[in-house]
Amino acid sequence: MRRNRPAVSSHIDDPAGWVDHYGDLLYRFALSRVEDPSVAEDLVQETFLAALKARQNFQGRSTARTWLIAILKHKIVDHIRKRVREHISDKVESLSDAAANDPVDGNFKDDGGWRHRPSKWAVNPMKLYEQKEFMDVLYRCLAVLPERQAEVFMMREIDGSSTEEICKALNISATNSWVMLYRARVWLRQCIENNWLDTDSRRSDYVTLDV
Amino acid sequence: MSHWMFNCKAVSKKVSESMDRLLPLHQRMMITAHLWMCKYCNRFRSQLLILRNAIRLEALPGCDADRASCLPKDTGNRIREAMRDLIG
Repeated sequence: MRRNRPAVSSHIDDPAGWVDHYGDLLYRFALSRVEDPSVAEDLVQETFLAALKARQNFQGRSTARTWLIAILKHKIVDHIRKRVREHISDKVESLSDAAANDPVDGNFKDDGGWRHRPSKWAVNPMKLYEQKEFMDVLYRCLAVLPERQAEVFMMREIDGSSTEEICKALNISATNSWVMLYRARVWLRQCIENNWLDTDSRRSDYVTLDV
Repeated sequence: MSHWMFNCKAVSKKVSESMDRLLPLHQRMMITAHLWMCKYCNRFRSQLLILRNAIRLEALPGCDADRASCLPKDTGNRIREAMRDLIG
């Protein structure tokens, strides 16, 4: 355990070596999330620059690799959010209308039974990464998840933050955080189902949200 | 209470919550019982778990053979330069 420490911190203390040590790893990671190599390259560059600026905040809580990947994940999500917004700029109105609909209430009848029963997903959970289409839809849905929910959701699922950390960072109650996570999950699940399973609505470039 | 717990809406909420904290034993038991009977809630639960796994990006694709792309040399140099500029 102890033996690893110096190696880790020396990599972090030596920004000049970052590109050699982590460049390929980050690039491959980015490339698996965005199709365009030049975009992937830019994201890697942004990641290293952001890491450089923030390196005082890295206190050896995780490995340098984990830390850099975490930064890159944020960059990727930011990028996708931005890209989707550009694509759908003329659809924003209908989107925000749809987002205003309550995904939870929309899914259930008054007696608490399913109104829209979850469909079967033809996805192999062990091989999600080979199912590019699924990942693509997931990221597109993530990009249009209502802002506030997205914030909580990403903290929880991308950063792996605990309830405590989320509450502290966003100044909300624990119950509140669970409700927001629940809504985010229901919303995302529905969005994926609408856009991935329904082949008719898949042709367009934006995410339809007729929840 | 138990009656309330058993409808799908309540169970779906608890299923989500169970991904964020350890639920009290009686709630876990009620969920298990409901999931055992209810195909759709069961499906809902596996799909939430699929979402979680997909998003957590646990399995880094870094090493797969057919995609072993490397950061182009020029880009690497460009990034090093940008970093040097930033440090000043």
